[in-house]
Amino acid sequence: MTNKTEKIIRLSVSYLILLIAAIIVIYPLLWVLGSSFNPGQSLSGSTMFPENPTFKHYKSLFDTENSNYVLWYLNSMKISLITMVFAVLSVAVTGYAFSRYRFIGRKNGLLTFLVLQMIPNFAALIAIFVLAQRTDLLDTHAGLILIYVGGQIPMNTWLMKGYLDTIPKELDESARMDGAGHLRIFWQIIMPLSKPIIAVVALFSFIAPFGDFILARIMLRSEEKFTMGVGLYELVSKQFGNEFTTFAAGSVLIAIPITILFLSFQKYFISGLTAGGTKG
Amino acid sequence: MDSNVTTKHRKNAGFLSIIPGFGQFYNKQFVKGIIFLVLTVAFFSSFSQTLNWGFWGLITLGEIPILDHSIFLLIDGIIALLVAIIGLGIYAFNIYDAYNNGKKRDEGFLLNSVREQYHNLLDNGFPYLMISPGFLLLIFVVIFPIIFVILLSFTNYDLYHSPPAKLVDWVGIQNYIDIFKLDLWRSTFFGVLGWTIVWTFGATTLQVAIGVFLAVVINQKDLKGKAFFRTILILPWAVPAFVSILIFSGMFNESFGVINTQILSMLGIDAIPWMTEEMWTRLALILIQSWLGFPFIFAMTTGVLQSIPEELYEAANVDGASIFQKFRGITLPMVLYATAPILITQYTFNFNNFNVIFLFNGGGPAIPGQNAGGTDILISWIYQLTMTSGQYGKAAAITMLLSLIVIVVALWQFKRTNSFKEEDMM
Amino acid sequence: MKKSLTLLFMLIITAALLVACGPKREETTPTSTDEKETETEAESTEEPAKPEKLVVWEDTDKSIALEPAIASFEKEYGIKVEFKELGMADKMRDQLRLDGPSGTGADVVTLPHDQIGQVVTEGLLQEIEVSDEVLSTFSESAVTAQKYNGKLYGLPKATETPVFIYNKALMPEAPETMDEVYTFANDFTDGKKFGFLAKWDDFYFAHGVIAGMGGYVFQENDGALDRDDIGLNNEGAIAGAEYIQKWYAEGLFPKGIIGDSGGSAKDGLFNEGKVASVMDGPWAFQGMKDAGIDIGVAAMPTLPNGEHMKTFMGVKGWHVSAFTEHKYWSTKLVEWLTNEENAKIRFELTQEIPPVTSLIEDPIIADNEGAKAVALQSQYAVPMPNIPEMAEVWGPAASALQTLATGKAEPKAAMDDALKTIQTNIETNHPN
Repeated sequence: MTNKTEKIIRLSVSYLILLIAAIIVIYPLLWVLGSSFNPGQSLSGSTMFPENPTFKHYKSLFDTENSNYVLWYLNSMKISLITMVFAVLSVAVTGYAFSRYRFIGRKNGLLTFLVLQMIPNFAALIAIFVLAQRTDLLDTHAGLILIYVGGQIPMNTWLMKGYLDTIPKELDESARMDGAGHLRIFWQIIMPLSKPIIAVVALFSFIAPFGDFILARIMLRSEEKFTMGVGLYELVSKQFGNEFTTFAAGSVLIAIPITILFLSFQKYFISGLTAGGTKG
Repeated sequence: MDSNVTTKHRKNAGFLSIIPGFGQFYNKQFVKGIIFLVLTVAFFSSFSQTLNWGFWGLITLGEIPILDHSIFLLIDGIIALLVAIIGLGIYAFNIYDAYNNGKKRDEGFLLNSVREQYHNLLDNGFPYLMISPGFLLLIFVVIFPIIFVILLSFTNYDLYHSPPAKLVDWVGIQNYIDIFKLDLWRSTFFGVLGWTIVWTFGATTLQVAIGVFLAVVINQKDLKGKAFFRTILILPWAVPAFVSILIFSGMFNESFGVINTQILSMLGIDAIPWMTEEMWTRLALILIQSWLGFPFIFAMTTGVLQSIPEELYEAANVDGASIFQKFRGITLPMVLYATAPILITQYTFNFNNFNVIFLFNGGGPAIPGQNAGGTDILISWIYQLTMTSGQYGKAAAITMLLSLIVIVVALWQFKRTNSFKEEDMM
Repeated sequence: MKKSLTLLFMLIITAALLVACGPKREETTPTSTDEKETETEAESTEEPAKPEKLVVWEDTDKSIALEPAIASFEKEYGIKVEFKELGMADKMRDQLRLDGPSGTGADVVTLPHDQIGQVVTEGLLQEIEVSDEVLSTFSESAVTAQKYNGKLYGLPKATETPVFIYNKALMPEAPETMDEVYTFANDFTDGKKFGFLAKWDDFYFAHGVIAGMGGYVFQENDGALDRDDIGLNNEGAIAGAEYIQKWYAEGLFPKGIIGDSGGSAKDGLFNEGKVASVMDGPWAFQGMKDAGIDIGVAAMPTLPNGEHMKTFMGVKGWHVSAFTEHKYWSTKLVEWLTNEENAKIRFELTQEIPPVTSLIEDPIIADNEGAKAVALQSQYAVPMPNIPEMAEVWGPAASALQTLATGKAEPKAAMDDALKTIQTNIETNHPN
């Protein structure tokens, strides 16, 4: 009997906690969503459930004659997708090398990767800028993508290596016995087993460019090349209060693709992150 | 001839390869030798200008104002340095290779044919081959800027030594000395440091605690709707942080934000001075950072929990352990042990979490008689100190000091958690 | 062995070439600077060859006024002018810093005058020579704003200064004095609606009050600002601080407009029709009209001591980049862009008010309420200091004002603190 009442209490307390947590998480997000449907412009006048909801802010964002938002959105998608592909490729390859081979400089390489992500680098923006200028990559998406991919390598390689370490080495060895080459082992045996961590890396490297505005603001000069992060930031920095609802609409549109990606990867995601993050 | 007993090949080959390729020629590995030689010639012919200019610029930082732009010269110099290091790496490998093959000859082994060499290269070189594209990118995108900051911290680059009008000079460790000598810096430093530490531990610990706690709650076997709750709880991660922070800064507005006007007034609580009282702003910041940061921990812990063997809990049940005893005795240690490296990076991240401080309230509110805002952490305070008055050299020096602190503490912690016990990592 | 000998020889040659490169540059550099100097000298004496094109960087959304001006310039002199829009607050300067030295920068740029000191110190702008005849077309204070260390670095393009903006639906007429505003606000303000709002925790706006009461930032001596004579804690400044504090302490200004995000809250409230009047710059007009508010604009009401508010005046100017190879023609272009005709076009198209004296009397400005108010207020306004030391003032001054606004500090203590911090910062960051 006591067991049963205990269970009921435990479960109801759990649900209560989760409910509260969910509300706290959802509330600001709902509020943004609500704001984006508000007819007014200002922050102070917005309400979560507007009386006369309107799509006008979305319309104004998608009004291609007066707003570059659609262009920026496409730019962001393009940059994020390409970054994702290249980051996954280079991280997978690098992580594999660190996990499977013993070579000179391995340990120091790993340590370097770890240390690199701890150095705040905004003082170095000028260096990145001049480098881009010297290589004619300024104001190009290619330059920006290279920087994003490079920036994704340290942390994600670490995760990737951690995950690959959990895949038994015997698999490689038996494949090698059968005469499979390095590339084949990597491509046909290890990669299919690494889907979860690949999902994680893909997601991380997709999100980073999508939310970044600092690097993109420095690298991109022409308005038609802007990413959404930059465009949105410029909107805010100019007149946050006046354009708040438009900003909210823009934010909602940023969050949507990421959320969808998140939810569709969620299955892989948790297992990938765990194994990757823990063994490293 | 190869199998002769006279054994000076290693030295000869090594010595000869001071000119790249010659050691290989000596070892009769002509293809390899030619490759090395061609590489060397190509390297010098394409980079000699870069190197020559670069090193000159790096050493002098320019000699004639207006014509020489010190900062650009510095950057070109770093590029030259990196190119030179890569070149030296290849060069060292060339000597090593010649020496090694010479040694093999000394020991009477037959050297590999071209075909074998190719295979050999594939086998031994494969890891290098794999990491080199990523590593090259890393060098130029991540390491290069860091070198720039390091070097910058040894220069007097500030408003009055700004190219193109003036030249920047090397000043040794003057910036580092100044930092500790200046009243401006010393008077506020400890106050800011104190809050930085509180912030780092408060915000990070709270976000970890919430993440772990919710993951444990959700992971109960008999709980329904797991997928639903998980989906919702992961959402804050999906929204770009700068968007969320700006929205929070609107919500926390004292007179018009929803938190004061709707939530608290609904609960019958008077408006709280979120933006103008130091303590409340700090609290708000810690709460916001927890909101932003917990989903990551939550997702990871969920994974760990699924990997804890059920038998452990069953054994504990037999012993009559309560929920809390099980949590403290099994779950928590397992989770913390497994995620320790990631947790440490979370702390280091928050130590330098410029964005949330800067975007929420610009480091404010102001405090009487202090030149740092009430919620300024070291990095945001320094940013304002140095950037408003163009103290770039000092900014770089301080960035280096902060990084050094973080790296040392983090590495020390990593050592403690044993995640670096190398060879048994697999 | 023969083969390898030739190879060795080749290598030695390469190495020798490499070593030889080092000092070569030093021999060539002095000549190249000489060349440059002679070139510039030649430019100033006679009309140099026309460049193929000039590049102008214009402020965001303002190029509509630039287009007709460069079209007529092209027609007059046959020099093609290209332009690009850049955010003026920080982007213009940052890009000049980076693009200028590498040769991809503009020949002519526009900057707010308070950046001139810093930008000149960095060597990004060059002095220009303009005849007195041209200079006399501008108001004196606007020209002063373009000078640093007694040298002229540009010609004024437009001025702006905060004015009194009111919602005609809530306040039929602009009051003459702040005392009237105060009385009105006391009746009108109820926590949801506000009689008068101003960002007086921001030194840019607060300066009007503090200087109007007798404070000052840097004392002017013989046309140069004295960085050692700061008047932020004199009697007048403290009286101003007390006056500012009163508005917050009595709840006439809500706490929600304090701090970095407060400005947007203030704008939002006004645009919703919850605020009868505000102190704001001419850049705010359009947004308010767009929000459907019927606004009236006037010069700031007089302070309780009977003085006018000494608001900060910002002067945007056209400048010649230090990196241009066509100094003569760039200067000509600057003169062209600021001449009466083009200044008038600018006002018509962008509502930016050019400090061209003949235009202020012109019906086109005299009949425009907003422009007239700004022109009127400009008479009492002082240009923001343009010396680099000013960078050290904003932060501490804002902190002092914010602590006043939140009631955490007394006026005298707050201003004393601010002064001390400013002085330390100046000594530390601006030696000599």
